[in-house]
Amino acid sequence: MYQSKSHADNATIFCRDENRVDWHSKALWNLREKRDRAAASVPEWEQLRQLGSEIKLHTLSHLGDYLCQFEQKCIENGIQVHWAKDAIEHNAIALKILSTHSVKKLVKSKSMLTEECHLNPFLEKHGIEVIDTDLGERIIQLNNQPPSHIVVPAIHMKKEEVGELFHQKLNTPKGESDPTRLTRAARKHLRDQFLSADAAMTGVNMAIADLGAVVVCTNEGNADMGANLPKLQIHSMGIDKIVPDAESAMVLLRMLARNAIGQPITTYSSFYRGSKADGEMHIIIVDNGRTDIMQDKILAESLKCIRCGGCLNTCPVYRRSGGFSYNYTIPGPIGIAVGAQHDESNTIPWACTLCGSCSYVCPTKVPLDKIIAHHRRLKAEQGKLPFGKKYYMPAVGKLMSSPTLLNCAMGSARLALKVIPHSLIKPFSGAWGQYRELPVSPKSSFDTWYKQHKASNKEAK
Amino acid sequence: MSHNTASKQAILAALGQSSINQLNQKPDLSGLKSSALLQADLINRFEKGLASVTGELVYPDDDNSFDLLKGNVAQLISQGMQVISLVDGIQGNQLMPMQPHELKHIDYAIIQARFAVAENGAIWVDSEQLNGINTNTHRVLPFICENLIMVLNKDNIVATMHDAPEKMHLHAGDFGTFIAGPSKTADIEQALVVGAHGAFSLKVYLI
Repeated sequence: MYQSKSHADNATIFCRDENRVDWHSKALWNLREKRDRAAASVPEWEQLRQLGSEIKLHTLSHLGDYLCQFEQKCIENGIQVHWAKDAIEHNAIALKILSTHSVKKLVKSKSMLTEECHLNPFLEKHGIEVIDTDLGERIIQLNNQPPSHIVVPAIHMKKEEVGELFHQKLNTPKGESDPTRLTRAARKHLRDQFLSADAAMTGVNMAIADLGAVVVCTNEGNADMGANLPKLQIHSMGIDKIVPDAESAMVLLRMLARNAIGQPITTYSSFYRGSKADGEMHIIIVDNGRTDIMQDKILAESLKCIRCGGCLNTCPVYRRSGGFSYNYTIPGPIGIAVGAQHDESNTIPWACTLCGSCSYVCPTKVPLDKIIAHHRRLKAEQGKLPFGKKYYMPAVGKLMSSPTLLNCAMGSARLALKVIPHSLIKPFSGAWGQYRELPVSPKSSFDTWYKQHKASNKEAK
Repeated sequence: MSHNTASKQAILAALGQSSINQLNQKPDLSGLKSSALLQADLINRFEKGLASVTGELVYPDDDNSFDLLKGNVAQLISQGMQVISLVDGIQGNQLMPMQPHELKHIDYAIIQARFAVAENGAIWVDSEQLNGINTNTHRVLPFICENLIMVLNKDNIVATMHDAPEKMHLHAGDFGTFIAGPSKTADIEQALVVGAHGAFSLKVYLI
């Protein structure tokens, strides 16, 4: 799915259907508006954001200690703890646990980490049937797609498309597109899966160090249906999911669902501090590049993220280019922040207007726009600027740092815009001019206008 | 048990290279706890919070919701519903089965809440409530039942999530959960559908 095409090329595919782009953008903006109302209903919201940021930053700066404390407490609670340096090791550990229990069918609830590790295809290759149980995840799994959003993974699909998919895969009546009836059909189908699964796997929203407990949040109840039926439960978490204690978790829990979808809290926020009677509970702690990110002071702050998806909903570029344009499992601003180093097209840091709306809504104050700008610098330093920027940006730099050269160039441009038909100049404006009209040539340069304006102001006085 | 300790050491060593190993103090969160509120105010806020997550509060003016619940349960049973109750004094018609999977036919589960949070309607249940009058209750009960009924003592409402940790009673090896309304999804075109995988409805009887 993630061929390294440029973000612009991927977005062009998404933008072919203008009505769909408008619909997509509106659906996400709707979430942003709900988020605003939910945030406004909490008078201390800004204080919570500040505390959320401080809690995460504190935990990250003592992460080794907290991870060790978490492991120790888990072991006291009878939980088995595994450590994985990377995705390959994570998948191998998961397979080993499942094989030991002769698991044939695994029910999973949403986990961006296992998406990041491409766990599903790996397990399927080894003969384990993997069922995603979040409705949105199940839809895209049946449709053979990765998620296009981290909280609402099937946001790119219209109900008629879901209806057709369910007709083919779940035998719903042809033409059925009513969300309630489709959800009922999925409930029935997935209930059979829950009841026949040999093991369950979930992601982790927060891992509480001083309790040795993981917190898993869902609206549908799929994580708890899954984890509480079979004997074996596995939870995968990135090292960045740790919080010191329950008090810290509460600060983040108050913001998570409000910032994601405008709900005061997810329907189920479950604390697993050990397995069920006669059961077995495993936690896999995964690095997979996170300690690399922490070596760069600016990038490190991206690990404060609690994956609410708020930055995706507000992003003008994400809303109009869709989740499949980012060459990475996680799209949108946070996807650029944590995924740009893997982007072989070297374009996704430019899928951003640097408007800063993402940083403004972030519940843990991740400075997303600053991180994205930093990624551009890193790409430049590595000699990986896209679109020939490598060749013309140094020239632009020289031009703009010399007033004489700049004035001269701008003079020629104004003249050209005035006397040459736009249809002839437009091809030279490149990608910029593809969806834009050329500007009307101003009478004079800003410099000239400013001097005249200042002079006439003086006269008036 | 700890596994893959070589990877653990590698991760801890890599964290030693972290660029944010400076002193970031843990913020003081004690100021977030709520000051004392009137019970009527908390009930009022909780009712709003619960409604916002599509749950329903039952709190009759004559203050006899326990009798009301008893009557309603008797009626459900007479309608042929399968009811399991973990609340003292409320009699269902189903016993706790050996296997959690056998709970799939339960129409109504009645569970005692430990406490509730006014700001978002969330109700905390942990293994002590789930065990209730049984000794071998399955954790899956509040999730697998078709409808959930909770009994909440009106003294056990706190204002916000910050007041929750000291009331949670999450013992070592235990399980606990905040339940805020019936299960729901909006994964198909953002249309809210109540009753995703878990309960279709949640009623809270305040006693």
